[in-house]
Amino acid sequence: MKIAIANGTFQAAYLFDLFKKNGHKTVLINSSKDDAAYLLKTKHVKVFVGNPWSRHVLEDAGVGRCDLFISLCDEDTDNFASCLLAKKIFGVSKVISLVKNPANVEIYRKLGIDSAVSSTYLLGQSILNESSMETIIKTLSLENDKIVLLEATILPKHKIAHHKIMDISFPKFASIAAIYRNYSVIIPNGQVELFPKDKLLIVCGKEDEEKVLAYVRDEA
Amino acid sequence: MKNKVVIIGCGRLGASIASYAASQSLNVIVVDSNASSFERLDEPFSGFTVTGDATDCTLLEKEAYIQTAESVVVTTGNDNVNLYLAHLLSRIYEVPEIVVRFDDPKYEELIKDLPGVKAVYPFQLSFEKILSFKEEMEAGK
Repeated sequence: MKIAIANGTFQAAYLFDLFKKNGHKTVLINSSKDDAAYLLKTKHVKVFVGNPWSRHVLEDAGVGRCDLFISLCDEDTDNFASCLLAKKIFGVSKVISLVKNPANVEIYRKLGIDSAVSSTYLLGQSILNESSMETIIKTLSLENDKIVLLEATILPKHKIAHHKIMDISFPKFASIAAIYRNYSVIIPNGQVELFPKDKLLIVCGKEDEEKVLAYVRDEA
Repeated sequence: MKNKVVIIGCGRLGASIASYAASQSLNVIVVDSNASSFERLDEPFSGFTVTGDATDCTLLEKEAYIQTAESVVVTTGNDNVNLYLAHLLSRIYEVPEIVVRFDDPKYEELIKDLPGVKAVYPFQLSFEKILSFKEEMEAGK
């Protein structure tokens, strides 16, 4: 996959390393000459200098041949303009915008930005997930909140403890992807029995999350 | 509030439009992040002023009452802010009439499908006017 990263200093450097390690080709664009010089010096990579919301800069950087465009500008509106240009004019199939204002996460998605990422928003979601589930449930949202991966620990008081999966009529709209027990991973089938302290990794749709949690936490 | 016009950006252009609209007995709300910008408005000014960031939806809804605006004129000095506001006002708030100012005529491509949005390009207008003066002068030689 070919990825363009617009602006950002340490963030761009981190993502560059991460993508390189995973075999992706990355193009860097930066509106600051100083930041571009830092990236050139530390990553030994060519950086296209200019505003990522300028058509000729994205043209020079070959953004039209990228599969993913990530905008890390300081201002939310600069990220919006850069992502819109990459998507509408250069036809990049997926654009991701960093946003400072957490309220912009939903709005940017409604305005056609494929993914908007706010560190404050993520922190808030993470704290909510941790606290409301008494630390026994963790969730990871995928595909813009459409799919969730739940991590639920079985307690002795739970109804499903000490039962085989085939006997518990687990909800049809969810699937136990893996069980983590005593430092090893079990890929489950119907014969596997569930024990207290087992960690279940469950995949389901976002709309079914509460129903799945209610099922797992049901007490005997 | 009837005939409500919201002006975003109180520079020379925004202030002139706001003062004119108020003189025509329209209900005007002007938004600018810098309170001293409102000094550009004609005295007396019969409209309302709101100090703050117009890209903040809470401010737009609670202080500029954007949901009931019939017309919005966006004239901040930042094209990217104006571009974002054009999309936000058209697609989220469905404001019937939106006029947006851009310095760079290339922004046309990024707003052309937005319902209710019209754009003005002062640079382009000046450029065309200067060319027409030049042509007139050459024809008169």
